[in-house]
Formats: sequence, C-alpha cells, structure tokens
Amino acid sequence: MTLGTETDDELLIRMRSGDEQAFLALYRRRQAAIYRFALHMSGSVTVAEDTTQEVFLALIRDECGFDPERGSLSGYLFGIARKLVLRYLERGRSDVALDVEENSTWPELAVNDDPLVDLTHREGIASLRRAVSALPRRYREVVVLCDLEEVDYADAAVVLGCPIGTVRSRLHRARALLLEKLHQEKNFRPAMGAWKPVRCLT
Amino acid sequence: MEAGKVFDMNCQEFWNTMPELARHEDHGGHLRECTACAARWDRQRSLTAGLRTVASEARRLQAPARVEARLTAAFRSHAGLAPEPEAVRLPGFWAPVAAWAAAAAVLVALAMFLVSPRRPQLPRRSAPGAIELASAGASTDFEMGGDSAYGGEDFIPLPNAAGIAPNEDVNLVRVEVPRSAMIELGFAVSAERASEPVEAEVVLGADGLARAVRFLDE
Repeated sequence: MTLGTETDDELLIRMRSGDEQAFLALYRRRQAAIYRFALHMSGSVTVAEDTTQEVFLALIRDECGFDPERGSLSGYLFGIARKLVLRYLERGRSDVALDVEENSTWPELAVNDDPLVDLTHREGIASLRRAVSALPRRYREVVVLCDLEEVDYADAAVVLGCPIGTVRSRLHRARALLLEKLHQEKNFRPAMGAWKPVRCLT
Repeated sequence: MEAGKVFDMNCQEFWNTMPELARHEDHGGHLRECTACAARWDRQRSLTAGLRTVASEARRLQAPARVEARLTAAFRSHAGLAPEPEAVRLPGFWAPVAAWAAAAAVLVALAMFLVSPRRPQLPRRSAPGAIELASAGASTDFEMGGDSAYGGEDFIPLPNAAGIAPNEDVNLVRVEVPRSAMIELGFAVSAERASEPVEAEVVLGADGLARAVRFLDE
C-alpha cells in the first residue's frame, strides 16, 4: 500500500512510530482544508498560518488525544483548529463581521446588480464571500464546514460539539441570513452608486 | 425517503430536511405543488451554486511551505530523528523553544567545563537572572580578540573552547550556577558562599557550545 492510498488512521499509526514520510503525507493531505477553515473563520492569513501550524503540532505531540472511536481524524483536526480560531476571535475581534487583512489573499470585493443571478460571476462571488465573513460566528462556522469544506453533518456535529439537528438548523438559518445580506447589499447599493471612496478620514 | 411522503410534506417539514435535499438535488414533489417553496428553492440553489464556486476558488489556498518546514523540524525533534543539514529559521513562537534548548545546551557545556580540572586564571570583573536568553545573532559584540577577549565585555574565554569566527552568529544566555564555579576561573570564593547561586552570561557559538562566560554578581 502506498502513502497516497493509506487511510488517515493508518498514516497516523505510522507517524506515531516515527515515520516522517507518513507525517508529511498526512500533513499534505489535510493542511489546506485546515488553513482555509481558519482563513474563512478569521479573515486573517496570519491566523490561518499559525492555526495550521498549531493544529499539526498538537497532532505531533498528541496533546488532545485523538480517539478514532469518536470521529474521523479530519474532524479532530478541524476541532482543534476551531478552538484556536475561537480563541483568536475572543481576543477582541467582533463576532459579527470580520476585518479582512490588507495583505489577505482574497481578491478585491465588489458589489453586483443582482446578487442571486450573478452568484457564479466574480463580483457575485466576492459579495457572497463578504456575506459569509459577515455572518455571526456560529453560522459562519457551519457554512464554512458544511458548504465550503464539504464536511458531512455528522463530522460537523462532532467538530462543533452539538447535535446533528443543530447543525441542520444552523445551516438553514445561515443560508437564510446569507440571502438576506445579499439582498440588503443590493438594495443599499443604488444610494451609494454615485460615490467612490477616495480616502478614509477616520 | 419515499416519494409519497415527500408529496405529503408541508412547507415546514420540507425545509426542515432542506440541507440534505439541497446536497443530493432530490427535492421530490413538494416543489411542484408549492410555488412559494419553489421560488425559495431556486434562490437556495443559486446560493448553493455560489457557495460551491467560493469553495472551488478557495481550493488553491493552502498553508505556506514554511509551515511544513517548521513542522518537519518539530516532528524530527519530537521523534528523536537527526535534524536536516540546513538550519531552519524559527520565527514567532519557536524562538523561545530554541532559546530554552540553547540554554539547556549551555548548562551542560558549562557543567562539563566546571567539573574538569582547570588552571586558575586572573580574576575578571563581572556584574546579573533563572535562565534567560539575552540576545541572539549579535556576533560583532563577541568577536574573539587577539589577546583576550570579547570586545571589553568582561567575558572570560573558556579554556579549550574554540574561537568565534568573525561573522559567526552567537547567542548570549544567562544562567545561574553555584558560586563555587567561579573558583575554576580564578575567582576567590569564600567557603561560606561557595554554595550560593551566582548569575552568569555565557556566549554560545553557532554550534551551541559555550565559548566564554562572565559572572554578573561577584
């Protein structure tokens, strides 16, 4: 069996016996999702990088005691990442909207005329990304996990530490909020249409 | 879920199961009977398509290569494997780890030096901390002079220690040792005070070995 076909649990066993290649295979398989989750949740590439590093350090040190009986390794890693990101958010960041770093890797945000019809276009996507970032944390995390990272509801329930029904209802509410925000933006935009920001004075 | 049950759903029941239905595109017959839900469903589908595009665009994002390099070094250290030949820079929270490792190394080196027989040298002036990394990479302050020292910094070269190359990176580590250790370097120490702790600063070369020392509280 090659590293590419081994399961996470198999790689983890080999990693714990000191196999560096197994660790690297596991890291390369899972790091991007953890990084994106932290980035979507925090809006900060710095936090995303630090979180990814801390998550895998915790795995190396076996600090949180992964138990395969309780869920997948992927869910376990997301769980650690979530705790780290929440710790960051609780250190003074708003729970409602995120400040996106200037050096963020996100493309520029823009507003489109019809938020729903245009959701597959670049501007529409930017609006949607902004709407996701502006969701309250408990809705943002479920959208990021289930809709963006395609984590299944059972795993998401383990990550979030709530029943699967709560995952469903939060996702439902989150999507309604997203639609609301997109329409608010659409309605707000005509009044701002003639204005172009030049410099922020405050 | 059977089709007949889908037809029997009311709007609330339909939307209660919406996430799974949205994922599997299996919305059944309720939408054909309920125009309000059908319109709402179309909006949800647009939203889902948009979210998929956001997810697809984000697929290219991943942690920078430096994270893998740091983690590989951490894994090697944790697993007791030999480090890679090239030194890895350790910014951010790794710095204290490196500092403590360096401090541990200097304690060992200093202890080895102090337990071996030495010829006393002339006493040197000195002056103050638990183990504390005072600075790193300040090589110019500790260049070995021709005849004595480390730029007038009161550092005493350790016997048998290698010299420091002109551009070599060094670390300065503050340690606490028994005052009796000063005897080995030619200091006079009374028997009553021999067991008292004294603070010292030790210059470590790039190889982590102690090169010179100065006592901070004579």
